[in-house]
Amino acid sequence: MFLSVSNLTKSYCTGTITHVLKGVDLKMERGQIGVILGPSGSGKSTLMNIIGGVDRADGGTVEVGGERITDLNDNQLVEYRRESVGFVFQFYSLVSNLTVAENIEVVSNISKNPLKTDEVLSAVGLSDKKNRFPRELSGGEQQHVSIARAIVKNPKLLLCDEPTGALDFQTSRSILKLLQEVNKKYGTTILMITHNSAIAGMAHAVFRLRSGEVAESAHNSEIIPAERIEW
Amino acid sequence: MALRKRVLRIIKENKGRYIGIVILILLGSFYFIAATGVANNLEKMVVGFAEEYRQEDLTFSTDKPIKDISALESETGTLIEAYRQYDVKLSNGELRLLSPSSKINIPAVLSGRGLENPGDILLDPYFSQTQGLDIGGQIELNGKTFNIVGTMAVPNYVYILKNLYDVLPTSGFGIGIVSGADIEAFPELSSEAVTVYGARFHARENINAQTTKLHGLLIEKGYSLSEWLDAKNNKRINMPYGNISSMKSMSFPVAAAFFLLSCLIVGVMIMRTVKSDGVVIGTLYAQGYRRRELTRHYMAVPVLLSAAGGLAGTLLALPCVRPVVDSMLVHYVLPDKGITFSPLNLTLAVLMPVAFIGLSSFLMMRRILKKTAVELMKGDEQKAKVNFIERALRLDRFKFNTKFRIREQVRSIPRLLFLVLGVSAASMILLFGFTFNYSMNVVMDKGALERYVYPLEYNFKEVRNLQDGGIPKGAEPYNTLRCYPEGRESVEFYLVGMESDSVGFKVNDIRGNALSRDQVNISSPLASRLRIKEGDTILSLVSKLDGKSYSLKIDGIVKAYGEQFVYMPLDEFNHLTGQPLGSYRTVLSSHEIDFDENLLAGVMDARDPEAYENVSMPTTLIVASVSALAVLIAVIIIFLVTSLMIDESRNTISLLKILGYRGKELAKLILNSSAPAVFIGFWLGLPFMLAFGNSLYGYVAEIINMLIPMMVNPLYVLISFVLIFAVYEVTKRLCGRKLAKISMSDALKAGAE
Repeated sequence: MFLSVSNLTKSYCTGTITHVLKGVDLKMERGQIGVILGPSGSGKSTLMNIIGGVDRADGGTVEVGGERITDLNDNQLVEYRRESVGFVFQFYSLVSNLTVAENIEVVSNISKNPLKTDEVLSAVGLSDKKNRFPRELSGGEQQHVSIARAIVKNPKLLLCDEPTGALDFQTSRSILKLLQEVNKKYGTTILMITHNSAIAGMAHAVFRLRSGEVAESAHNSEIIPAERIEW
Repeated sequence: MALRKRVLRIIKENKGRYIGIVILILLGSFYFIAATGVANNLEKMVVGFAEEYRQEDLTFSTDKPIKDISALESETGTLIEAYRQYDVKLSNGELRLLSPSSKINIPAVLSGRGLENPGDILLDPYFSQTQGLDIGGQIELNGKTFNIVGTMAVPNYVYILKNLYDVLPTSGFGIGIVSGADIEAFPELSSEAVTVYGARFHARENINAQTTKLHGLLIEKGYSLSEWLDAKNNKRINMPYGNISSMKSMSFPVAAAFFLLSCLIVGVMIMRTVKSDGVVIGTLYAQGYRRRELTRHYMAVPVLLSAAGGLAGTLLALPCVRPVVDSMLVHYVLPDKGITFSPLNLTLAVLMPVAFIGLSSFLMMRRILKKTAVELMKGDEQKAKVNFIERALRLDRFKFNTKFRIREQVRSIPRLLFLVLGVSAASMILLFGFTFNYSMNVVMDKGALERYVYPLEYNFKEVRNLQDGGIPKGAEPYNTLRCYPEGRESVEFYLVGMESDSVGFKVNDIRGNALSRDQVNISSPLASRLRIKEGDTILSLVSKLDGKSYSLKIDGIVKAYGEQFVYMPLDEFNHLTGQPLGSYRTVLSSHEIDFDENLLAGVMDARDPEAYENVSMPTTLIVASVSALAVLIAVIIIFLVTSLMIDESRNTISLLKILGYRGKELAKLILNSSAPAVFIGFWLGLPFMLAFGNSLYGYVAEIINMLIPMMVNPLYVLISFVLIFAVYEVTKRLCGRKLAKISMSDALKAGAE
């Protein structure tokens, strides 16, 4: 099993204690696309942050590619994020005063075996816009850059937090198509969180989160190509 | 309104940064009040005393008493007064008794009372202090007992030198004032007392022309003149004037520089606050708030900061003025008029920063506040924009880290400008301190004193002639005349006649080779001031004594530091100035010569150069305080910019942490990005310092005719460079903690940059 989450718990204290994750279990094979569905406050982002090594769990374990990341110290977590995980955020999180190419170099700069910037730019269809600044691009193009930045290190795991949440239908479909292509071309395992249940059709594994628990998990035998997804 | 509560919260959020800004403003106001306070109080004491007690414009002696003084006074528009001067030797010193004058050089009683009864005496305060004499006590002078009734100051003895041409005060020497009758009562008076004249012109303009006219008239009337010296060249009078001019000239520009730097940084910060509040402002507009209400709200921050800094600087400066004035006047005898402050300057010290900073902040925030509620609520103001420099930069050939650092710096032009100018200002102050110290050391080590091969200079009251008696072996005659180029009275210098085989003075050219004494040589600082070179002719050189005009062709340039003179052969000098062959006024000697003291106007002894350092400015103290100030400014500026940069890059830093950047890598990327700006700022400081120093020294030269060379020592430049970068490194470490505290959740929450 490439990704294995077992009995994961997490709570926050903001005056009162809020149990965000209450024993979450999920598993994914290498090279799969997984989708976590759930309403706001269900614990999707917290789960993703723990898997990404950005946050720490209170209990339970997370293993990625055989490495138990819940046992890693802060420095080891930095190495894990640096080498193994790519992030795609809802609002792109690009560095506004760096060009498209430079935003990708932010990651290739610290990776051991990065892909070539031009190759990645070509893969996301932005070769002609490499010297533009993020503000000069549409939302969809910015998300393409965000994906390019995430895959340039050729990560084992690509974590996408609502990658289409800020985009219109057509653009969203192009982003999903791109993610599917990345998955196929580089064999990258992708875990995506979303409100949009229509996206579940393109995933191998689907997990429905409700109030910090996995209410339902399913595995699709037939994967729908992203361009056929409708909502 | 409720918004008011927010003002203090905004300030509290970035306490450190606002404290830094308040300190910058405080330094500006402090310097303004301290410099104007010191200059005005010095002026009040020195110039006020000179005016109120009618300081002489001229002192001289004659071979016979001037007969009809009142006729001469009306003919020349002058007040002339004769006073008696009688030196009494004491067991441990010497006291010069002066008769009280009533028209000019009027004595001011500093403590005790004035002269009322026969046998009363007023003493100068340093003399009574060093001799352990108190008011109410007595002093015995040549067998006569005097009652000490007080201490006094006289305008022609502000700096108490025994002889007119002395450089240093004579140990144990002092002055006292007794009634004319008491002086006349000394039995040996007729042989030992002298009459000295002081003159003061009614018209306060064209003093040189009036002096020349009076000189001509006295010669015409058959008087032979000696010890003819105008106040401008009289060290007893002119010594405290240098401090006033330099203080006055720099009070406003230095303060303004601090305020401008503060303007830049406050402008950047307030702009940032207003930008980040764009949506809130739009919402408040939508709720019915007026633009002026919100302008007032955001203006409260810069106004509060500048008023607090201005007020604190002013209040801190007030008690500092007295000790500085006292330390500057420690060698001078002046009435204490008390320290006062100009209400206008006090108001300016508080209002200037408020006006400067308030206006710049208003201009910066106006653009945003002018927008409509809908435009603001879209939140576009919060999104970082790419400026024209960022757009124009093509950095493909650089490594990523270099690209990132360059972009980080050019992201905010005002911030970059503040850093570069701020570091320049700090470097300029530091370099100026070191250069001033080095220049003064060079002047002391290689200046006038080093020129003396024969260390003793005897100046006579009257011109003497070699034909009346030879000069001992190991001694040489010189003759001198004070001159200025026509139309430039501020450029005064000595025209010196010396024998062609003289060895008493070193006369070397720029390369260090000995120049011939048989030609006309000019000192290098004077040559550069007059913009002349070898082979040029100085036209219309005016003698200060009699107004006669000469022309001189310059044959050589003498390497010198700060000195202003022209050397020429003695015979040519006497011929040119119309004096008999063999005339001389000065003897330079390798050994002590027993001249009759009554013939001498002063003796200069170059054997103990350290004695001169005591009366020169305390340069080490100046350098230490100037360096401390520079370091403080550098710390504040680098800290402000770095912390501002960390704040502006908060989301990027957080994002980079998520992406796997290590702490050290982030510190290198963010904190090291200012290094080129600090580097450029430092090197810009050097030409700024040279321009500043040359303008200051040029001003001082014009006012008091004193040339200070600007000597830049590479070692001190290196030390300054290391010091500025050490400050940068320390500040980086301080800010490194702030960097470490930024959490990854910031980027996750912020979403878009």
